Amino acid sequence: MSWHDVLRTLDPRHKRLLALGASLVVIWVVFDLLSGGLFFSPRNFYNLAVQSSTVALLTVGMVLVIITRNIDLSVGSVLGLTGMVIAILQIEVFPAAAGWNWPLTLAIGLIAGTLIGLWQGFLVAYVGIPSFVVTLAGLLIFRGLTFEISQGQTFSPFQAGYRIFGGGQQGSLGEAASWIVGGVALVVLLGALARRLRSGEASLPFTLLGGLFASALTLFMIYQFNAYDRPRTDLGYGIPSPLLLLTLAATWIGLFVNRAPVGRHVYAVGQNLEAARLVGVPVRRVVLKVFALMGLLCAVGAVITTSRLNAGTTNLGTLLELNVIAAAVIGGASLDGGRGSILGGILGAFVIQSLDTGMVLIGVSSSLRQILIGFVLIGAVWVDRIAVRRS
Amino acid sequence: MKPLLQIESMTKLFGGVHALEEVSLDLHSGEVVGVIGHNGAGKSTLMKIVSGALRPDHGRIRIDGETVTLDSPIRAHQLGIEMIFQDLALLDNLNATENFFLGRELTRSFLGFRWNDAQRMQTIAKEAIHNINPHFHRFRTEVGLLSGGQRQSVAIARAVHLDTRVLIMDEPTAALGPEETEMVRQLVLRLKKRALGIFLIGHDLQDILRLSDRIVAMRGGRVVGTVEAARASEDDLLGMIISGKVPAAALPGPGAVTLDQEKD
Amino acid sequence: MKKKAKTLILSALAVATGAQALLAATVGVSWARFQEERWVTDEKALEERLEELGHRLLTADARGSSTRQAADIEGLLARGVDVLLVVGHDTQAVIPAVQRALDDGVPVIAYERQIKHPDVTYVGFDPVLVGRAQARALLEVQPDGNYVLIKGGQQDQYAHGTYQGQMDEIGPLVEDGTIDIIAEQWTTDWKPEVAQANMENIITAQGDRIDAVLCSNDGMASGVVAAMEQAGLVGLPLSGQDGDVAAVNRIARGSQTMTAWKDVRVLGRRAADLADAIAKGKDLASLPGATTFTDEELGIEQLAFPLDPTTITANNLELMIEAGWVTREQVCRGVPPGTAEICES
Ligand SMILES: Nc1ncnc2c1ncn2[C@@H]1O[C@H](COP(=O)(O)OP(=O)(O)OP(=O)(O)O)[C@@H](O)[C@H]1O
Ligand SMILES: [Mg+2]
Repeated sequence: MSWHDVLRTLDPRHKRLLALGASLVVIWVVFDLLSGGLFFSPRNFYNLAVQSSTVALLTVGMVLVIITRNIDLSVGSVLGLTGMVIAILQIEVFPAAAGWNWPLTLAIGLIAGTLIGLWQGFLVAYVGIPSFVVTLAGLLIFRGLTFEISQGQTFSPFQAGYRIFGGGQQGSLGEAASWIVGGVALVVLLGALARRLRSGEASLPFTLLGGLFASALTLFMIYQFNAYDRPRTDLGYGIPSPLLLLTLAATWIGLFVNRAPVGRHVYAVGQNLEAARLVGVPVRRVVLKVFALMGLLCAVGAVITTSRLNAGTTNLGTLLELNVIAAAVIGGASLDGGRGSILGGILGAFVIQSLDTGMVLIGVSSSLRQILIGFVLIGAVWVDRIAVRRS
Repeated sequence: MKPLLQIESMTKLFGGVHALEEVSLDLHSGEVVGVIGHNGAGKSTLMKIVSGALRPDHGRIRIDGETVTLDSPIRAHQLGIEMIFQDLALLDNLNATENFFLGRELTRSFLGFRWNDAQRMQTIAKEAIHNINPHFHRFRTEVGLLSGGQRQSVAIARAVHLDTRVLIMDEPTAALGPEETEMVRQLVLRLKKRALGIFLIGHDLQDILRLSDRIVAMRGGRVVGTVEAARASEDDLLGMIISGKVPAAALPGPGAVTLDQEKD
Repeated sequence: MKKKAKTLILSALAVATGAQALLAATVGVSWARFQEERWVTDEKALEERLEELGHRLLTADARGSSTRQAADIEGLLARGVDVLLVVGHDTQAVIPAVQRALDDGVPVIAYERQIKHPDVTYVGFDPVLVGRAQARALLEVQPDGNYVLIKGGQQDQYAHGTYQGQMDEIGPLVEDGTIDIIAEQWTTDWKPEVAQANMENIITAQGDRIDAVLCSNDGMASGVVAAMEQAGLVGLPLSGQDGDVAAVNRIARGSQTMTAWKDVRVLGRRAADLADAIAKGKDLASLPGATTFTDEELGIEQLAFPLDPTTITANNLELMIEAGWVTREQVCRGVPPGTAEICES
């Protein structure tokens, strides 16, 4: 069997995932050559993982929103608002020394994010206002609210305990725990692939290629994270907490999408709302749930970003929605609804961040970086169109 | 014998348009009632109400004489009412099994959450679809890529299960070739023997005459009249559809609700 | 025409209510983007001072859009302002709107951001002076070696001004090889998280070679500090501007060297005084602090009142507390004992 035949037998969805993985590797190698070996340095890998995690996390939610044939333009503002709520409560309102302070403010932040998501989901699903309008309004409202409650001020610093979520000194697993987590992740991953192969959901070539890529990537990343030493020691940082949060959230949500009724409903709603309704899919509740999840993920993103920056600022998260939507689309989500993949979205986020990071390493200006990422977005969808027309 | 299903003065407005106006109709078990009428006569609207997909403005539905509230397709499903929709209502990006159970997935509980019982759904869907169409085997393919007949098989299999009591078929043969049409005919006859009540909507009058026991004609959201298939000709039916002329052989009453039942 | 009628009414009112009312003016201010920490303080200072002088303030916020700012200015003119203060979002694009105001006979003061027009008076902390102050403060602690530049939003004229000031000071040193700029990046919208990511990547590329970070404002400095902490680069010379509470706290902790503090209350009051002088018909050019800004390229000469920022370092934090800008508690929050003198006791 030639390569060509192997590619032809692949499911288009699997083909896209493999293509994204391959592009990622190509991007890394090219930047490594251009930057004289900097890209594959442990420090860069660590940073890349942390920098990508927030966008990737939000992309997981955005993919689901897009599959239901909706859009969420407010994610940056919701992230900004929940981050600011947490910052003000933790730094200004509650006593700085209290041990219960950060867990409580964290919980309030997550609840606030979910409530905002529920509110927007309610307007979309039950009132019937188009999501574009609801979330465009949300973008303005929540950004404005952020400013109102902060009066433009920056709040800093957070409690030490809270900083475990942002990676870095307080937010890294350390070497031993990282290998253990990595081992567990590998077992779970290969187990899932094997099960798909057995049940016929995945073909042998995909299982082999995907399994090989994923295991190599996992082991390589952990090796790199452990090789990045804490300052003035030879103890490796290990897995950064944002990446761990991303992995846990994506796995958990992925399980629901693939193994619970609600997953099928999400795809059904986006593909043909009327048909889904006729056969008894609770279409409105599905959309409500997806937006609630998006809100929650925004809040988790806010926790990561503020914890990492060690400050709550008014313009936290502005323009983030654009990167998130771009990542979802590069990952194969179709704005026509009904199609999209969580794993694809995550890979899309890593592609965007890798390009951005790589270009900073070789000293490219920010305007050129924007231009290139814009072209990559068009290119990704273009290639997709060609592939669809062929099959 | 009490009718299985009674529709009483059903009315539905879309904006200012009377899609249905005071429509009454009944259906006995083991009976096939043909429903005919021009495009836009209100046939689909009436049946969507019966299957819980639409809420009427007013009107009542009884099953075994008991008034029921049909506020969702799931509720109708629980009462044994199933509908094969005019456009089949299949999700193109899901496969046959997924479509078969869409909206009514079989689940197992684990860690306090409900998960798909994929194995069981697979087995049941396979059996049910094979029952309708023994040649069907593409269970993993997205139904968007299946032929018209294969799609029809999935939609029919979904509607016909052990608990189905009322089956509504909205133009089931419109998109089919002659062979597949014949398969549907045989199916109707088979189901009739299983004591299902069937509403058969269609434009092929010959077909309707052959398969139905009674035929109801609709026009502009109203019932024109009801005739016994055995005593009506194709011309009688055309007369009802086109000019609203009720033939001499028509059954009494405004709709199909017989007069003596209306009294109690 | 309209203007004359208005003056007439004003004089008529003056007869009725006394001299004070004759001079009561309506001052309009068009903000570029109100949603940043400092403008709230500007507005408060401006409003208080104007009230003191018996004038009224009308405001409009363009929320970062040049088109909206043009509409805002027309709106303010329609509401009959006598003096117009403009914080230009895009100081070039705002000129037609400013011209319309001037044509209507409404004097225009460019507030904080210079608008290059011969008939516009400029008052503000000169970004060039800010940039110079930043560079000078860093040079004092790190006179040579490898500098990293974290610049503001590339679309923002102000960021370019600051950069220009920085280069005024270090440019000659770069030429003679004393200083090497090993990396520089503009920062989309001055966003701290973007500055953080950029800084992390620069550290990857340059590592321990970095000797000082010339950062254009305090928000971005918080991102830079977070990036340096992770990499274990502590105590590197780092600049900022605005005097953010968080930055002042960092200065007390020793993780930031300086902030170019623009006591915007001084600016607000100064602008209010200028508006007052205009309302009273005084000649601005004869006021103390007046200078002329010349742009040879455009052939423009304009009246300007540039304000110098105050350089705040660990040595003069007291100044900000005395001014009521920050509280001692805010400055010293979480500062370990033995770090900053001001926090002992
Ligand atoms: N969702 C809707 N919104 C507005 N009007 C509708 C809607 N559904 C149906 N109608 C209108 O109600 C009337 C009855 O339509 P219905 O679909 O019930 O007709 P039908 O008898 O099934 O026709 P066909 O033979 O074409 O299927 C028509 O005038 C149609 O335009
Ligand atoms: Mg119809």
